[in-house]
Amino acid sequence: MAIAKAERLMNLALCLLGARRPLSKRELRDSVEAYVESVRPERGGTGSDDSFNRMFERDKDDLRELGLVIETVENLDGEIGYLARRDSNRLPPITLDAEEAAALGLAAKVWQQARLAGAASGALQKLRAAGLPEDVDPYEGHAALEPRIPVHEAAFEPLMLACRDRRPVLFDYRKASAAHPEPRHVEPWALECWRGHWYLAGFDRGRGAERVFRLSRITGKVRSRGTGFTAPVPDVVTVRETVAGWAGETADRSALIRLRSGSGYPLRAKAAKVRELGDGWDELEIPYGHGLDAWLVEFGPDVVVVEPAELRADVVDRLRAVAKG
Amino acid sequence: MAGKPARAVNAIDQTRRMLSLVTYLRERPGARIADVARAFGITEDELVADLDLLPMCGTSFRGGDLLDIDTDGERIWWHNPAALGEEAAEPLRLAADEATALLVAARAVATLPGLREGDRQALLRATAKVEAAAGEAAGASSRLSVTFESEGGVFADVDRAISERRRLWIRYYSPARDEVTEREIDPIRLVSVGHTYVEAWCRRSEARRTFRLDRVAEIRILDEPSAPPEVELRDLSEALVQPAAEDPEVVVEVGPGGRWVAEYYPHDSAEELSDGGLRITLRTPDPASLRRLALRLGRDGRIVSPPELADSARRAAGEALAAYDVPPGPAPEAAGARG
Repeated sequence: MAIAKAERLMNLALCLLGARRPLSKRELRDSVEAYVESVRPERGGTGSDDSFNRMFERDKDDLRELGLVIETVENLDGEIGYLARRDSNRLPPITLDAEEAAALGLAAKVWQQARLAGAASGALQKLRAAGLPEDVDPYEGHAALEPRIPVHEAAFEPLMLACRDRRPVLFDYRKASAAHPEPRHVEPWALECWRGHWYLAGFDRGRGAERVFRLSRITGKVRSRGTGFTAPVPDVVTVRETVAGWAGETADRSALIRLRSGSGYPLRAKAAKVRELGDGWDELEIPYGHGLDAWLVEFGPDVVVVEPAELRADVVDRLRAVAKG
Repeated sequence: MAGKPARAVNAIDQTRRMLSLVTYLRERPGARIADVARAFGITEDELVADLDLLPMCGTSFRGGDLLDIDTDGERIWWHNPAALGEEAAEPLRLAADEATALLVAARAVATLPGLREGDRQALLRATAKVEAAAGEAAGASSRLSVTFESEGGVFADVDRAISERRRLWIRYYSPARDEVTEREIDPIRLVSVGHTYVEAWCRRSEARRTFRLDRVAEIRILDEPSAPPEVELRDLSEALVQPAAEDPEVVVEVGPGGRWVAEYYPHDSAEELSDGGLRITLRTPDPASLRRLALRLGRDGRIVSPPELADSARRAAGEALAAYDVPPGPAPEAAGARG
C-alpha cells in the first residue's frame, strides 16, 4: 500500500530538522521509507530517479508552504545538501496570557475558507506547542459571539497567493452593467472584504491606472501572467472608499423628499432634517449620492422627490420603466 | 458546499499539526486524548488518526529511531521522547499563510464596533505579539483585510443581554414590508458575516429569527430573564435566510445592469441570456416582499412570474407617478390611494 503523503512529509521534515549538517538528496532518499519504496519496482515504485526527484521537489515546496525554511547549500565536493537551520525555524519566544490566548482562539475560527482556516488552526497549534495557555474555556461569556469571514468567490485563493507573492494576473472581468466580460491584466495589491463581499485593488496594466474589482464579477480562471510589478505599490491601499462610492455612500449633495408618515425608516435614519407636514406626510432632507434614485424608487408611492430636478427626473424615468412593465 | 469550513484530510494541514503535536506531547507525558484534541481544535478521531501515523515517523527511518508513541484510548504515552532531538522538538516559526490567517482575523474582530473593551485590548495585545514573533512572515498579512459592520451601541446591549441572560425589547425595521415593528426577543448569539446579526427567539412569532443590527431602530434590555428554547444552532455562513422548498417560486429576468440580483439574492438558478442578462429563479416565503426589487430594477429587469407580483409593481409605479403629475404645491394627492 502506498505510504500516506502526510507520513512522508512528516519524515522528511523530522529528518531535516534533526540533522546538524546538510543532508544530500541521496541521504534523504535512503532515510525516508516512502522514497526508498518509490525507487523499488517490487514495492510498487517506478524504479526511476525521475519520479523520486519530482516527489522530492513537491515535498520540499509543501514543507516550505507550512513554514519550514529549507536552505540549499553546496558542500566541499560540490554536492548539493539541504538544511533546515535551527535558528531560522524556531518560533521566537512568545508569551501570551489567558485573555490573549482566548482572543486568538476566537480569531482562529473566523475563516470559512479551507486554506486559511487550515492555516489559522496551524498557527494556533504552533503557538499551543510553544505554551499558549489552555484550560481556559475560550470566551466563556462569549460563546455567543461568532464572527465569520465568508469566502464564496472562486477567484479568492489564486488572487490571495498572487497578492502574497506579488505576481501579475490575468482574468476575465464583467463590469457592473456590461453584457460581456473583458480580459484584465492586473498587478494585484490587496484584497478586502466589506459587507461580506471581496474586492481586489491593483494596477490595471491595460488602463494604466489603479482599479478596484469585485471578485464575484471575475469569470473563469485567474491565471498568472508576466513577472514583477511595473507600477509602485502604494503604502496604503484604500478599497473601501472606492466601493462605498459605488454603493452611493459618498454623498456630496442633499435632496429634499416627501415621505409618507410611518414609512421609510432607513431614509429617516439617514435624514439630516425631518419636518412633519401634518397631512400624513413628512418632508426630509437626505444625503444625495450615486444610486439614490434607485433606492428611492423602492419605496414606490410612499416617496415623492421635491428637489433637485435632476433627481426628480431620474426617479420619474425609473418609475415609467416599471409602470410600462 | 455545505457551509462548514472544509476539514478534509489534507496532508499539509495534518503534517503541520503533527509537527506541533510532537513538540506538545514531548512536554506532557500521559496527556489525555480529550485535552489534547481540545487544545488542538480537532476531533478525538482526528487526533487518533495522527497517533496512528506518528509511530511510522522518525528523524531517520534507517536509524530505526521511530517515535514510539501509543495510546490506551484515554492517555497518550511516548516511550522514547529522546528519539526526537532538541532541534526537531522546538516550536516552529509561523508560515506566511498562518500569520496572515491569524492576524487578519484578529484585526478584523478587533474592529467590531461594540466589542467589549477588554476583549478588544486582548486582541490588540495578542496581535502585536504574534506580529513580533512571526517577523517577516507577518508582512503579507497587510495585503488582506476584513471589515465587520455593526452598530456599536446595539451590539453592546445585545452582548450584555446574552451574558446576563435577559430579554430584549426592540423596534425592528423589516425592509420586505417597509415597516417598523416592536418585538421582545430572547437573544441566542451574535453572528458577524459582513454585517452583524443577532439570532434570537422571537416572542411575537414564537420562532427563531435573525435580526440585522443596523435595522434595529431602538433597543432596551428588559428585567425579565431570557428563556430561549433549546434550538439547534445552524451554520450561518452560507446564507442567513434559507428559503424552504415549499416557498413559492419567483422568476426574474434581468439585463446586464441587473446581474447584481444574482449576487445579492440566494437563488435556485441563474441562466445566462443572449443579451448578457440572466434569468433568475428564486424562492421566497413572501413574494410580495420582492416588489421593492421589481421597482428598483427599473428598465434593468422585470418579474416574469408570479404575474400578481409583476402587476403590483406596475401599480405601485403608476401610483407613484401620479404624484409627479401634480404641479408643485401642497401634499400630493396620491396619499389617499394607498390600500
